[in-house]
Amino acid sequence: MTPSTATLPTRGIADRLTGLFWRRPGIFLLLLLLPPLLWLGVIYLGSLLALLLQSFYSIDEFSGMVRQELTLKTYGELLRPQNLDILIRTVVMAAAVTLACAAIAFPIAYYAARFAKGHWKAVFYLGVMLPLWSSYLVKVYAWKLILAKEGILSWAANATGTSFIIDGLLALPVIGSSSLSTSPLGTFMVFVYVWLPYMILPMQAALERVPTSMLEASADLGATRGQTFRTVILPLALPGVIAGSIFTFSLTLGDYIIPQIVGNSANFIGMAVYQLQGTAGNIPLAAAFAVVPILIMLVYLWLAKRAGAFDAL
Amino acid sequence: MTIAVEFSDTSRHFGSVKAVDGVDLQIEEGSFFAMLGPSGSGKTTCLRLISGFEQPTGGQIRIFGEDVSNTPPHLRNVNTVFQDYALFPHMSVRDNVAYGLMVKGMGKRERLSQAEEMLDLVKLGQFGDRKPSQLSGGQRQRVALARALVNKPRVLLLDEPLGALDLKLREAMQDELKALQHRLGLTFVFVTHDQHEALSMADSLAVFSDGKIAQIGTPAEVYDRPRTRFVADFVGSSNVLPPQLTQKLGGPAQWSSIRPEQIRLADAGPLFGPVTALRYLGAGTRVVIDAEGTQVAAFVPAGQPVPAEGSIAYLNFDAAALNVMEEK
Repeated sequence: MTPSTATLPTRGIADRLTGLFWRRPGIFLLLLLLPPLLWLGVIYLGSLLALLLQSFYSIDEFSGMVRQELTLKTYGELLRPQNLDILIRTVVMAAAVTLACAAIAFPIAYYAARFAKGHWKAVFYLGVMLPLWSSYLVKVYAWKLILAKEGILSWAANATGTSFIIDGLLALPVIGSSSLSTSPLGTFMVFVYVWLPYMILPMQAALERVPTSMLEASADLGATRGQTFRTVILPLALPGVIAGSIFTFSLTLGDYIIPQIVGNSANFIGMAVYQLQGTAGNIPLAAAFAVVPILIMLVYLWLAKRAGAFDAL
Repeated sequence: MTIAVEFSDTSRHFGSVKAVDGVDLQIEEGSFFAMLGPSGSGKTTCLRLISGFEQPTGGQIRIFGEDVSNTPPHLRNVNTVFQDYALFPHMSVRDNVAYGLMVKGMGKRERLSQAEEMLDLVKLGQFGDRKPSQLSGGQRQRVALARALVNKPRVLLLDEPLGALDLKLREAMQDELKALQHRLGLTFVFVTHDQHEALSMADSLAVFSDGKIAQIGTPAEVYDRPRTRFVADFVGSSNVLPPQLTQKLGGPAQWSSIRPEQIRLADAGPLFGPVTALRYLGAGTRVVIDAEGTQVAAFVPAGQPVPAEGSIAYLNFDAAALNVMEEK
């Protein structure tokens, strides 16, 4: 056997590049990270900063021109009763949607994480993801038809003699109206439907990471099912719940289509931004409105962190 | 003598799989009992039957005389040290240990002081504020132990407690567990697939095979007088001799076993054949010869001459060392 050399000759540019990356792993990392960093740093953060800057400009009432001087006047306008109304309505809706999504999603996510195996797991993923494959607008219009006065829901309620439930709900002040499709209750139902997958999936991922042995350990140490839920499952699943609630909360805060199609045409933040930057041409006030959800989310995350929601990460 | 745990004709079948099949077993109070067997032999299922995470499909289980068939895990005064320790990652070490007392409604001051006491017992007194993720494997194991012991269980169950530790730590923990058990006088039931661990720690042990108990006894009984070929092979790798060889050595026409360390090299003897393998073990050398088609191993202590591979060697032993087995 002839002795071979300790190293083999390089086979071209690719081998030399590999060699370079091997000696300097930092270069490779930089090349990998540069495109996303540019995207996030320049385009995303840049436009956010531009938005923030716009919100400190104001509009001249007489000429309708944007005055490029820094002022808090536009933020002051947010506190006018009709604008404050929009903010409060949007935040209350987002909170209600988030709570409802969490309550509905938890049993589904728990079942999928703990009991579903093989085929049933596939059925679960398909069931949760399938609605995301169809157009958002189609789903919202479909719901308008479902909830309409002559829609399938009231037809089914009539047929089963349960229309008194719908009538009772619609008779409620504030959330009721003449029909579900024109009531805030209807807006709420469509929001819950459309954002539910965004709550289920992170919750399921978090619950899946809680090992069975931990639940057994809790029972072994004398905890009842309720105690295990409160002291072990919930804290360990909390990062998932928070992640899901960030989705449902912020998506509701920013949406401007659903309240336009289903509901009583009351304004939400997203609709206000849409109208102000479009027809009204009041970019500073639109920007100020747009900053509000960002601030709310920052405060929410800060509170969640303080409450220890991310301790189990 | 009180019986702490009793299985009577207990079975746990999963469909057609007989994980535990007609087991009869009595574990004495205050003993250190080992369930030994290869994976899938039913030993862990037996442990889970005691803790209540599995329910028998046949027969009964009694803990201190009480039938526990209808008692859920959280109402059994039995605690488990889990194989992966199952410490709660979001709680401090102290809160982990105090967990059992907390869910039973003990006041904060009292339970934390008891937890602290128990942490001192397992020599982790200064680690109470840490999170489990900040501890080493051996320390986590002690926390799991303290968390179980603080509830003063009537029986402590340990599922492969030392499996995840490295050799040196494992040996240290073996001594420590044994000492702890002795001091507390508790009944320890532990599951292991490691025969050395079972032999060195247990007062008595059950060898499991295919959901059944192959043999029960003290370590010496099981080691010296294995009743079946499986036990002879699994516990300490005995030589297993077929009936015709047993007969030639002066026994009945049955399977028999003999331990390598009971066989010595001689100038003449009933067993002989070419040396097929030599393995140096430090304290001696394991010499394997081919005697009429059966591989027979002898242990030659260090300092004695070792035959060359391929040469013919003669083996001899005391007639009493030959263990004739019941199984055909």
